[in-house]
Amino acid sequence: MALETTLAGAYPKIGDSTEEQKLRRALHQFDKGEISEEDLDLIKNGVTEEAIRQQIEAGLDVVTDGLIRWDDPLTYLCRNITGFETSGLLRYFDTNTFYRQPIVESRLEWIKPILVSDYQFAQAKSTKPVKAVLTGPYTIAKLSRNRFYREFKQLAFDLAHIIHKEVEALEAAGCRYIQLDEPAILNHKHDFNLFLQMYEIVAAQLSKAEKTLQLNFGNLEGLYPKVLNIPVERLGFELTKNHKNWDVIKSAPFTKKMMAGVVDARNTKMESENDLVQAVHQLGEYTSLEQLWLSTSHSLEFLPRSNARKKLELLASAAKQLRGASVS
Amino acid sequence: MNLPVLPTTTVGSFPKPDYLTKARFQFSKNQISKTELEELEKKATKEWVDFQEEIGIDILVDGEMYRGDMVTYFAENFKGFEISGLVRSYGNRYYRKPVAVAEIERVNPVTVEWFKFTQSLTQKPVKGMLTGPYTIMDWSFDEFYPTRRDLCLRLAEVVHDEAKDLEEAGAQYIQIDEPAVSVRPEELELAIEAMGIVTSGLKAYTLTHICYGDFPKIYPKMLDIPVNQIDLELSNNEFDLLDLFKKAPFTRDIGLGVLDVHSHRTETKDEVKARIQKALKFIPKEKIYVSPDCGLKTREVEEAKAKLRVMVEATKEMRETLG
Repeated sequence: MALETTLAGAYPKIGDSTEEQKLRRALHQFDKGEISEEDLDLIKNGVTEEAIRQQIEAGLDVVTDGLIRWDDPLTYLCRNITGFETSGLLRYFDTNTFYRQPIVESRLEWIKPILVSDYQFAQAKSTKPVKAVLTGPYTIAKLSRNRFYREFKQLAFDLAHIIHKEVEALEAAGCRYIQLDEPAILNHKHDFNLFLQMYEIVAAQLSKAEKTLQLNFGNLEGLYPKVLNIPVERLGFELTKNHKNWDVIKSAPFTKKMMAGVVDARNTKMESENDLVQAVHQLGEYTSLEQLWLSTSHSLEFLPRSNARKKLELLASAAKQLRGASVS
Repeated sequence: MNLPVLPTTTVGSFPKPDYLTKARFQFSKNQISKTELEELEKKATKEWVDFQEEIGIDILVDGEMYRGDMVTYFAENFKGFEISGLVRSYGNRYYRKPVAVAEIERVNPVTVEWFKFTQSLTQKPVKGMLTGPYTIMDWSFDEFYPTRRDLCLRLAEVVHDEAKDLEEAGAQYIQIDEPAVSVRPEELELAIEAMGIVTSGLKAYTLTHICYGDFPKIYPKMLDIPVNQIDLELSNNEFDLLDLFKKAPFTRDIGLGVLDVHSHRTETKDEVKARIQKALKFIPKEKIYVSPDCGLKTREVEEAKAKLRVMVEATKEMRETLG
């Protein structure tokens, strides 16, 4: 298999044209009681299809469902886990976006698959493999307010078991790529041992899907190379121009597959194709390019949709150039 | 400046009356002229000035009837910015972000005419209201400057020029809001340096408003922001912040947020008084200014008015007990 391209999570829910603002209008109508939840779900399905189509048109090899149904990285999962209530808005890391803080009110329990039907819907609409994306247990635990467990550790382990069940259900449904987002560990590096124990629970006995651990909103300094001990097959992180991670990964051989976030998903400024080609050549010193995924540094929801599309097209075009070069 | 103890003020924005919201929409569809829109903006400004005088607020604001987003407003009026497509902030809320595409320049004063107009309506002092360079930088895309620092420091110069012009136009109070400052502790130094440029050489009383964020990580370092007063969102956080002040005293004047601007419920006078009492344990009364947590623009007009009435009445009662 040669170098492939993907995106690091969500796709912008709306664009600037009227046609691309269906979801915004529908949510507005739903809030006013003018359309039913079923009507709204149909719109969400349609926009999910549109997001997948645009990713494929841009030339990506591995797509996501765009996380069109997700309000924020926490709420969509947590409202389907028994024991959580949601509360007020808090800022999501250093972005100007917000999430509703989940509150742990009682013992957390996984009742039934949360993302499986979304995965099945998306895969049925896609000619490319669909990667399921979900927030990992450590970040959920860290961004929640704990009103139930005596110790953070107990909350963390219960969530690890819950996400394990979800990953297992996605595997059973045929999903071959699963991405777990864990930005919070980069702000709490001293928790690494707990984090490792949690991932031994998450990944136990699961081997059908390739699991990617996505670590963004910071750098791997202090976690690398021990982060390579986490039982996942692929590690994703930011590798935009001059990012600190470029120095960090020099310090030890990279022994996993890599998802390299070379395209900055938080700024509209376009990288040049040449920048990306250079970056990949440099990565060739640390990792096998045969198994490399090139991706955006973050979810694309921080960009307007038109800019997001351009960034994906650039990613695909750089990959094409690189693949061509390796054949000749 | 003849102010009572515990002077009352507000953070800047007030809700727009329905007729103005409608007019702004019509203007965006080219159905009414710029002049027609401005007449209504002035009418709404005058109504808010009258209201502030009527209830007895000490330092007035213009209410920002002519502004949309606090960052985009300035970006639209500075040269070098374009405005992006829609980006989501939460739920079904989207906004357009400024994009720096060339050297940022201030061709003309941006807020000075509005300041003069508002000050002409009242004998009480009106605050000049600006958005700070760090926040404009942090909430914009940047396709021009090599680093965040470069964009931030350039904006600091531009905002300084605006502050200078406000001062010359008679502003005794100039507020430079930096809600983004609490988000990236590692960039606090940059925000401080930028504010130093903005307030350099100003004789006016300067203040900055900072919203809720990771205060434990930036306190007490944030006291180095070179302004006379730091205005903080406190009610929303059940006054946890005050515990921080036990560890290191709050050395600036404080703008004490006593109204939760995200809640529909009107506070009681007793709640407001309790909040002021709590602050008085840590900060001498001469250093306390009383205000809402943040701008009130997301509340309904009547909600905002009810909240402000309670704030002013409770503060007046507090003053009596303080003698």
